[in-house]
Amino acid sequence: MKSILKIAWRNVWRHRLRSLVVIVSIILGIWAGIFVSAFSFGLNDQRKESMISTQISHVQVHNESWSEDQGVEHLLPANDALVNWAKGQAKTQWAQRIKVVGMAASSHYAGGVQIIGIQADQEAALTGLKSRVDSGAYLDAEQSNPILVGGALAEKLEVKPGSKVILSFSDRNQNLVSAKFKVRGIYHDVSSQIEKLQVYVRSTDLQNLLGLESNQYHEMALLLDNAADVDTLSAQLKEAIPSLKVETWKELAPELAFADEIMSQALYFIIGIIMLALSFGIINTMLMAVLERRKELGVLMSVGMSKPKIFSMVIFETLLLALLSGPLGVLSGYLSVTATADTGLNLAMFSDGLANYGIGTIIYPILPGSFYFGTGSIVFIMTLLAAIYPARHALKLNPVETMRTL
Amino acid sequence: MSVIETKNLSRIYQDGDSEIKAVDQVNLSVEAGEFTAIIGPSGSGKTTLLNLLGGLDSPSEGSVSIEGKGIHELSDNELINFRLQHIGFVFQAYNLIPVLSAQENVEFIMLLQGKSNQARQERAQELLQAVGLDQQMHKRPSELSGGQQQRVAVARALASKPSFVLADEPTANLDSKSTEDLLDIMHRLNKEEGITFLFSTHDQRVIDRAERLIYVEDGKIKSDVKQ
Repeated sequence: MKSILKIAWRNVWRHRLRSLVVIVSIILGIWAGIFVSAFSFGLNDQRKESMISTQISHVQVHNESWSEDQGVEHLLPANDALVNWAKGQAKTQWAQRIKVVGMAASSHYAGGVQIIGIQADQEAALTGLKSRVDSGAYLDAEQSNPILVGGALAEKLEVKPGSKVILSFSDRNQNLVSAKFKVRGIYHDVSSQIEKLQVYVRSTDLQNLLGLESNQYHEMALLLDNAADVDTLSAQLKEAIPSLKVETWKELAPELAFADEIMSQALYFIIGIIMLALSFGIINTMLMAVLERRKELGVLMSVGMSKPKIFSMVIFETLLLALLSGPLGVLSGYLSVTATADTGLNLAMFSDGLANYGIGTIIYPILPGSFYFGTGSIVFIMTLLAAIYPARHALKLNPVETMRTL
Repeated sequence: MSVIETKNLSRIYQDGDSEIKAVDQVNLSVEAGEFTAIIGPSGSGKTTLLNLLGGLDSPSEGSVSIEGKGIHELSDNELINFRLQHIGFVFQAYNLIPVLSAQENVEFIMLLQGKSNQARQERAQELLQAVGLDQQMHKRPSELSGGQQQRVAVARALASKPSFVLADEPTANLDSKSTEDLLDIMHRLNKEEGITFLFSTHDQRVIDRAERLIYVEDGKIKSDVKQ
């Protein structure tokens, strides 16, 4: 077997350029597969993380009826007990919110918005809203009815800090309430859709307008330092205050969780397709190698080389191409991912399009270690399958037909 | 006992509606230690006869026995193994494995026989020395002249210690000097080691050195003389 391997190795280098073309193609294919996968994982992670950190948090708590009807009256039960429980949780940020759907109007435009009443300090710590205020200032205690408007909505309303905006909505008794708010700041979000739809006001202002008490809220959002503890925390909270509806980010945004789950499978599928295309190149090359050596293979059969050995030789030749290119492809993929993992890839030129999907402009490629092993395995298996056809073709050669003469 | 024996051996090819009898009812016996040449004009059936004797082609009629064994009764794999153990081949175009050195080419046959590394090396060096290539053992075929390659081919044919060596036009591509050298080597191996050689040839120099001449025409043996 060692000698068959030796001949196979030398046969690989018989046509140096041809073998190098195949090797480089496989390396490029693997590199592309790995890098595209890492980029996709990074993109997905970025979208997920930004949605969690700026919008949905890890866990949200509501009234049981909230998911069916987001009416003003569906307030958090046992709010004081909930706040006490939240205060007892280490390494957890939390914030309470009032949420109501209404209309925002300026002298230029009027449109539907979600009005979110927040406690400024809590929200700044939880979602970093304060740091996302681009112009003007964050909500403060002194000013009367301050409001934060998203950049996209500010453009539509044609407002800037200091401008006035009228918010209209129904209070808890279904009476229409309109109030004048003064734009305190313009915030940005990774999602332009969010910027168009959400405005932030102080919870106390909104509670007054809705006719709610100061300890009445619709929502508590919690963000953990360690995302792996989400399920545990959720279960503990459900046990502590059973009257609450506790939902994790996976329940709140199932599309994010689904993308997480399907990502590996989809990317293995893409790598499989790349390798399938490459394997046709391998079959072509090896078939050429067999056909141009018909006479030589005929001689080997004539002098006594058995068919299993001929078959093994062609298989080895093909596998050697994979063994040479596979590790180099995986290594180049790994190095590319490692080189860009910290600095990220700046996609500023596509920022508008990305923002529509809630994705930032810098993507940090990331790939689980198992993916490198999985990719290597796919290459090996596909190459082995690609080797079978040329090897079988070699077996069908007839010594006399290949040599015609002795 | 004969090393090679054929009975009513025929090989018929179809060419459209007509039949071509490349080998026609050949009865032939070759004894151990012979140095025999099969001669005849082009298209007379020499090569087809050698193919049949070497088990590379199947007869349409009749049989070939090597050391008393009917070779065409063997399965494909048995026949490959039989050739490996009993028949040495020398081809007109040398047909060495281009990626192996001279020594590795000779060793290759013994490798297929499952001989040990040491036994292979010793035998290969001994044979290459016998054909005068002890200085070229590590060169690849592309680094050797035609005559040298054919001498490697002879060494390879003898590596398995075969019952006989079949050589198809072994000197056809060689110059006079190389031809004389090759014939000297084969003749010496025949005399000193008793190896049976069976050639097909057009070459008068080979014919002059052969001890038995079998003249073939239209697939039939027309004459069979010892000289």
